[in-house]
Amino acid sequence: MGFLEALSISKVFGGVAALDHVDLSIKEGEILGLIGPNGAGKTTFFNVLTGLYKPDKGEILFCDQRIDGLAPHEISSLGIARTFQNIRLFTHMTAMENVMVGRHCRTQSEFFRTIFITPSFRAQEQAIQKSARELLHDVGLLDRGNALAKNLPYGEQRRLEIARALALEPKLLLLDEPTAGMNPSESEDLMRLIERIQKRGISILLIEHQMRVVMNLCHRVIVLDYGAKIADATPAEVQKNPAVIEAYLGTSAHA
Amino acid sequence: MKKGAWFGGVALLLVVPYFLQTTSFAFVIRLFGIAGLYMLLALGLNLVIGFVGLLDLGFMAFYAIGAYTAAILAIHHVPFVLCVLAAILASTAIRVIIGFPALRLRGDYLAIVTLGFGEVVRLILSNWDGLTNGPKGLPRVGETIPPASLFGFTFSTNLHYYYLILVCVLGAIWICERLNHSRVGRAWVAIREDEIAAELMGVEVTKQKVVAFALSAVFAGLAGAIFAHWEGFVTPESFTFWESVLLVCAVVLGGMGSITGVILGALCIVMAPEILRSALGSSFANARYLLFGLSLILMAIYRPQGIWPSRRRTLELRPLEPEDAPQETLYDAEQK
Repeated sequence: MGFLEALSISKVFGGVAALDHVDLSIKEGEILGLIGPNGAGKTTFFNVLTGLYKPDKGEILFCDQRIDGLAPHEISSLGIARTFQNIRLFTHMTAMENVMVGRHCRTQSEFFRTIFITPSFRAQEQAIQKSARELLHDVGLLDRGNALAKNLPYGEQRRLEIARALALEPKLLLLDEPTAGMNPSESEDLMRLIERIQKRGISILLIEHQMRVVMNLCHRVIVLDYGAKIADATPAEVQKNPAVIEAYLGTSAHA
Repeated sequence: MKKGAWFGGVALLLVVPYFLQTTSFAFVIRLFGIAGLYMLLALGLNLVIGFVGLLDLGFMAFYAIGAYTAAILAIHHVPFVLCVLAAILASTAIRVIIGFPALRLRGDYLAIVTLGFGEVVRLILSNWDGLTNGPKGLPRVGETIPPASLFGFTFSTNLHYYYLILVCVLGAIWICERLNHSRVGRAWVAIREDEIAAELMGVEVTKQKVVAFALSAVFAGLAGAIFAHWEGFVTPESFTFWESVLLVCAVVLGGMGSITGVILGALCIVMAPEILRSALGSSFANARYLLFGLSLILMAIYRPQGIWPSRRRTLELRPLEPEDAPQETLYDAEQK
């Protein structure tokens, strides 16, 4: 079996099929793009994968384990982390603390150790801080560590969200439009960041609207339209696929 | 420096009341004792409202459960320590039982359920004659709640209770302070900030909410047990909805999530009626609700973060030691 297998996933909202028997598999170590027009069901698919929604039909296997029906925090601790289309940081916490929250499921706490500051509590707290510092360093935000998340500029908030997700030590990282609202040079930097994350052995599933990013970054692309999968191929092939062109541009009235 | 101020403050709180005892200001000792009980309650409520961001409008119910449990046991000559433990256990257990279904609700709905539960508890206390003696309160004629005693020492004066409460408040501050800057506290604040993001970052949201809920009841149960022994008398009148609202005021006025702020808030709600009474005469003492309402509105407009807003702690950000630093950083915008 594969790394992540989503088999025939359906999700219906009040009669509208947001996802219609979608099959999707991710290979270990690849960057897979998920594209499609607005409302195609891309974010719904993320929400199903991470356990926010339960699929009406279908099953999801992650490292040979059924994960549909698990609580979101259980799925996260199995190694799937995500970012959000509209940034969802803990706005009144510092950048450091945001990343430290990401360490939650990789650490334990015990009431009496916390209250009496035992050596094991101290050691763990220092380990959490150390890995948070490393991650902030990784995304180039170490010097902003004590700033409140809400006070960071937009591009830095995006990177902080990625650092927070990486703190979970994910095997699979889901990025929901990471370059949305970025200028070309910022999204160039972010593409390189994504590549380096992938080189560390983390597989990536990426929702993206900027074709330049998709074409340069993704090994493979899946296209959704009205909740159904209409293509699954390399970026170059997808670009030429008539069904994909039709989904994005519509058909000519004379055709 | 900060530590010095702390020790100085505690020393003052220990020494000054001892000398006030024989002066005409002796009533201040009792007042501070009551303020201390409200501080315990406000610190407990702050865990829920300030840290986790759940609005609880019926917190007095758990103070009441603690007080009545202690009173009923004390009447039957159960030692003080056991009364306190039983009070804590009872309020916490009921809190958890209520919490599991109630915490599925969010925001206003949870507020309504807690408000309702607060009223239910008060009504049970005033109607279960067999156990609580109804509106007449405990103890019944011919019974007494003996004063608290610890290790053979009997707490017989207001000053004794003042010291007991002071120790409890300091312990509660310590616990809150420790939790605030630990894994659990960060998880709680993360839930307050964005519940869905917290859940997706691996925080067991429901479990953490129940833990915070339970811990808040520990504070309430403890305060209730001390109250019952100190007063030697409990009635349902002490645990009305308005008292719950005052506690919420203490937390909101002081600064949600701020331990210092909440202490100041509790001090305000206890001291304000006394100051009003001496300044304007006793007919204005009941105007405190009006005053709190007004101050809440003013605070909401001009200082929504409270008297003493919470601050997140700054952490050491020294550059990574050579052995810590990864071979390459993942992000290199600067080098370009």
